Amino acid sequence: MEFKDYYQVLGVSRDASAEVVKKAFRKLARKYHPDVSKEPDAEARMKEVNEAYTVLADTEKRAAYDQLGHDYHAGQDFRPPPDWDAGFEFTGRGFSGAESAEFSDFFSQLFGRMGGQAGGFRARGEDHHAKILLDLEVAYRGGKRAITLRVPRQDAQGRVALADHTLNVGIPKGVHAGQVIRLAGQGAPGVGGAPAGDLYLEVHFEPHRRYRVEDRDVYATLPVTPWEAALGATVKASVPDGAVEVRIPAGSRSGGKLRLRRRGIPGEPPGDLYLVLEIHTPPADTPRARELYETMASELAFDPRQHQGG
Amino acid sequence: MSDELEALLLERAALTLEELAAGCCVEVEWVVARVQAEVLHDKPPPDPALWSFSGRDLLRLRRIRALERDFDANPELAALVADLVEELDRLRVRLSRAGLAAD
Repeated sequence: MEFKDYYQVLGVSRDASAEVVKKAFRKLARKYHPDVSKEPDAEARMKEVNEAYTVLADTEKRAAYDQLGHDYHAGQDFRPPPDWDAGFEFTGRGFSGAESAEFSDFFSQLFGRMGGQAGGFRARGEDHHAKILLDLEVAYRGGKRAITLRVPRQDAQGRVALADHTLNVGIPKGVHAGQVIRLAGQGAPGVGGAPAGDLYLEVHFEPHRRYRVEDRDVYATLPVTPWEAALGATVKASVPDGAVEVRIPAGSRSGGKLRLRRRGIPGEPPGDLYLVLEIHTPPADTPRARELYETMASELAFDPRQHQGG
Repeated sequence: MSDELEALLLERAALTLEELAAGCCVEVEWVVARVQAEVLHDKPPPDPALWSFSGRDLLRLRRIRALERDFDANPELAALVADLVEELDRLRVRLSRAGLAAD
């Protein structure tokens, strides 16, 4: 296990005051806040920063960490000596045990017993949270997806380490981005025979090369020829749940939308599917094609820039 | 791997007050104070026993809790930040719908 230098993570010296540690944390919390940060690894960095601050903002934890880690530097192989934490009483900094489970193995090894309860206590297990990335097809059809989460596990010696836990989940059709799904009893185990917590999964969609999703409505571009747009036509279009024949009205323009009612993501009510027309022009790469373009140029009084002025 | 688990979609009115508190890893009193301060969008009925919440409420309240914790923000300020973040999300969706990059 690698030693984590929490002072380095927050960019403060080892003798930094509590006020300096707090200021450094807030600055980084703003920089890496997952909702607004443009940093590519913002979420991972925010976890690291939260973990470092959880230790350094707590007098007891910081003292224990300092005592243990004064000869170590970041990345060095580290094994805590047995009973290293005797005499310390750890509490959380506003993080529940379930949330601090997302911290590193290093943290779990050192402070894993944080919030542990004595015998005779009975409490429902904590709820766990995670984000999942789904493909659009599962929203239309529902289906099975394997989801792997990192969860804390306690060994016979009472030490806590993170382990991968894979769940085989039946995703109901109609799921859409921003929605939450609940898996009953898949959170942390209860204490003293009380029920386990639940697992909440926040749904996000994998980016799709053809479809964009907004709530339950789905958008796709439909390439058409200039004569299909001008004269009208019935064309075949592939959609997430198969293929449909759609009628393009005569006089359609590029960017015009065809609405296919109730062909978006299923639900009550189902969403709509919008096909956005995109007019593609054929290349003038043969004498005949050039001749046709020249005929149009000479015979059609068409100026797409006439309303631009200037 | 375990057997297949059944997932429940959380739509409107899917969570009780106690479930919402457990889902945010906070005490019920913390949620009651935030709801009464109207940090969620809808004005609640006076009796907390009649309250129910959606999956979106859960995500919003967890965001507010993280903001309060990380920046020692008061609930109203955290709610204002949550409003701005949600507005940003909506605008990003509109940008993406218009075929424009969201950054």
